[in-house]
Amino acid sequence: MIDHTEQDRELRALVQGLGARAAERLDVERTAAEVVRRLREQAAVAPAWWGRTVWLRVAAAVVLIVGVGLIYRQGGPKSPRPVGDQVVSSTDAGLSELSSDQLRVLLQALDAEEFPGLTAAQDAGLEDLDAGQLRALLRSLEG
Amino acid sequence: MAHTQPAAASPTVTDAVLIAAWQHGDEQAAAELVRRHARVLARFLAGAGAPEADLDDLVQETFIRAFRAVGRFRGQCQFRTWLLTIGGNVLRDAGRRWARHKVVPLDDALRSPLGDPHEEAVARETETRLGAGLARLPRMQREVFLLRAQQGLEYDEIAAALGTSTGAARVHYHHAVRRLKEFLQ
Repeated sequence: MIDHTEQDRELRALVQGLGARAAERLDVERTAAEVVRRLREQAAVAPAWWGRTVWLRVAAAVVLIVGVGLIYRQGGPKSPRPVGDQVVSSTDAGLSELSSDQLRVLLQALDAEEFPGLTAAQDAGLEDLDAGQLRALLRSLEG
Repeated sequence: MAHTQPAAASPTVTDAVLIAAWQHGDEQAAAELVRRHARVLARFLAGAGAPEADLDDLVQETFIRAFRAVGRFRGQCQFRTWLLTIGGNVLRDAGRRWARHKVVPLDDALRSPLGDPHEEAVARETETRLGAGLARLPRMQREVFLLRAQQGLEYDEIAAALGTSTGAARVHYHHAVRRLKEFLQ
């Protein structure tokens, strides 16, 4: 049941006429003919577009399958496990429980991983450094 | 598109029959649906702020979208109500395009008046004020108000078409009325 309260009766009367004249001026027959023409046009275009997208999808699927196949044929994507991890996981214990030998192995492994760019010269002991290099090292430690 | 036996374009043929006929390729069924609902749709769009110069294009676009999406129409409301909500979406999209391209609607003075000039002027002024008030409403309030006040739809029908609850539709309507009255005063 549609209410007709005093509050909105006037407004309702106003809005009833809103757009009525514009709608009356609409050429309905022409609009209907135009809609049918556009629908027909779109129906003719749709299969070609659909055909193109189907081929694109098939091509993409083939590329994907071939790519995945090649990767697995080469043994799959293997990420080398860090040596340090092996040491820690093999002991499966806290650092405090490691022996000094195990700690040394672990530190060497971490050094090798974290500073792969170190050269043999940089690996040298303090006694191999000259005065200038020592000063530079001390400054870097201070700063 | 395959052509099948055309559905009779008589008023006794329901929208549901015409929709089914269109889905089977009957173009005349589509044309008949346009004939039945184009004016109501145009009035709704004009009420929602569509410039008269663009009304025909917007009506066509709404029908095109509706016919393309008709498979998703599950009869949750009348076809006409569903069509009006699609019209609301079409108008919103067009509004975005106009805003991007800064299209200025045809000035009222440039429109060709039909009928008595004084009546035209008064009617136009009323429409303009009401249209301005409607334009200031949030979209949901505007659509609920138009569907209710202009199209005379029940709240449950409006709620089903707009995907909201009957209570919410009622609240939107009353907010719209209050705000419009404030604006018009």
